[in-house]
Amino acid sequence: MMAAAADLESSLELSLTGSGALPGGLPPARSRIFKIIVIGDSNVGKTCLTYRFCAGRFPQRTEATIGVDFRERAVTIDGERIKIQLWDTAGQERFRKSMVQHYYRNVHAVVFVYDMTNIASFHSLPSWIEECKQHLLANDIPRILVGNKCDLRSAIQVPTDLAQKFADTHSMPLFETSAKNPNDNDHVEAIFMTLAHKLKSHKPLMLSQPPDHDEIRIKPEPKPAMTCWC
Amino acid sequence: MARWSPPRNGGGGHDFDFKKKRKVEEIYQALNSDPIDVAALRRMAISEGGLLMDEIRCKVWPKLLSVNTDDLPPLPGKELREDNKDYQQVLLDVRRSLRRFPPGMPDDQREGLQEELIDIILHVLKRNPQLHYYQGYHDIVVTFLLVVGDRLATALVEKLSTHHLRDFMDPTMDNTKHILNYLMPIIDQVNPEVHDFMQSAEVGTIFALSWLITWFGHVLSDFRHVVRLYDFFLACHPLMPIYFAAVIVLHRQQEVLDCECDMASVHHLLSQIPQDLPYESLISKAGDLFVQFPPSKLAREAAQQQAERTAASTFKDFELASVQQRPDTVLRQRFGEQPRGEERTKSILTKPRTNRFVKLAVMGLTVALGAAALAVVKSALEWAPKFELQIFP
Repeated sequence: MMAAAADLESSLELSLTGSGALPGGLPPARSRIFKIIVIGDSNVGKTCLTYRFCAGRFPQRTEATIGVDFRERAVTIDGERIKIQLWDTAGQERFRKSMVQHYYRNVHAVVFVYDMTNIASFHSLPSWIEECKQHLLANDIPRILVGNKCDLRSAIQVPTDLAQKFADTHSMPLFETSAKNPNDNDHVEAIFMTLAHKLKSHKPLMLSQPPDHDEIRIKPEPKPAMTCWC
Repeated sequence: MARWSPPRNGGGGHDFDFKKKRKVEEIYQALNSDPIDVAALRRMAISEGGLLMDEIRCKVWPKLLSVNTDDLPPLPGKELREDNKDYQQVLLDVRRSLRRFPPGMPDDQREGLQEELIDIILHVLKRNPQLHYYQGYHDIVVTFLLVVGDRLATALVEKLSTHHLRDFMDPTMDNTKHILNYLMPIIDQVNPEVHDFMQSAEVGTIFALSWLITWFGHVLSDFRHVVRLYDFFLACHPLMPIYFAAVIVLHRQQEVLDCECDMASVHHLLSQIPQDLPYESLISKAGDLFVQFPPSKLAREAAQQQAERTAASTFKDFELASVQQRPDTVLRQRFGEQPRGEERTKSILTKPRTNRFVKLAVMGLTVALGAAALAVVKSALEWAPKFELQIFP
């Protein structure tokens, strides 16, 4: 985490204060922020996934996350500069109730992670989904499901069709990936970028604004099984 | 009674300067006096350099925790790992804790220690079913294992877990959250501007969670700094780590104020703890803050953080706090001070500290007050959540 922080140190020069149009009729100089919370059981690879996306590589060593860690990456989507904030949470149950709830505030999207080689982490998903419902007021927040560690093929305990069925039931797209596989960089990237595109097309600025259109609602994707690309 | 002599080549050979040598002698003097001068040992653990060497820590840490080294519990057998509800989580966390071991250590030696670490944790949990494992507990236990070895570590960690760490080991983390609520009031006393800035950023206090529940073992990469802090915390009131957390934030006040005023930026800044902190001066400052703003004084504000300024809570809070915070009351009486106005306390902080050692010594003594020495621990904290239940049934 320490090393990660140095890598991730990006200029936090967002200018949400610059409201209104600039002189000359230019659009307001704001950088949109998408706040994404990453949850799931202990040791499913939440830290590795977020690190992989933000630093571009698999971390050498990760430790148990205590409380909440934060990582950030700036991306450009259709010419717009956007900051993706990933809030990486502790997996142990005791941290959830009193500790993590503060970090659900103003979240734009949720990433549920399970370990494909650990069926128990898959079976925990309903309780994570339930918890998420309790914390988030809006129902239309985009959620995705990520099965991690697909590189450990011989140890897979969660078959893709089972996970896909679960994802369909809960109207989430499913991604199977590996934060570790060196050839899989594009895939981890694609997962978060897909989410960012979705947020970009649907979400207003992070400053809470009253929903102005009822029809702006994240529709469940027509879900092609995102198979493992590793 | 066993008589200990100072090591001949105390630690650093020729570099071992006179001051340190004298401190070593004083420590052994305190160890050899009859009865053992625990108050002096506390002062040594707090004052510059702490207990200096692991060899000394092996002897002094048990005294600070009132652990009898002649009567250590037997080490557990392998059956410990069966039917233990926490085993899987402990295993996951210990396996991943490579960074806690000295960089050059051979793998097989490290793996042996990791097995010992698992055993110590499970052993303490088994003997104390009221305690619940939390991620980060392993960061504390590994420090004791590396300094004093498995047998003694088991005894020390057990005592620590039923006292200093007790609140972190409840079934929920509500008490831990309450302790974190002391952070902002401490900062407010010293620098209201930083406090207000952090409040408007809504940064919360989770950035300090791992500091508190691992006694900084999780975030500091140099083991020497970790053990130095453990000397300090073992000699002090169990709330001292939160004062130390506040001192770190205050040490970085300019960085905080220069930061973008939003949750992510401030959380990100503060959660990255600088590795080159001036530990000795921060320890002194934390001690000063504890003396000037003891927990009883902050209890009301801390409760308010949680109670969201429910007016009805304040009076009863205060009443409860003053009843249950006896050690601090005693402390104030020792200073011959009445509770002071805010103005005065703030101006005192800006004055040069001339009597720091007296204060720290008194602080050490205060914690050591007879039977209160360890009983302080829970009483400092247990009233508040209960009281909240009364407000919010």
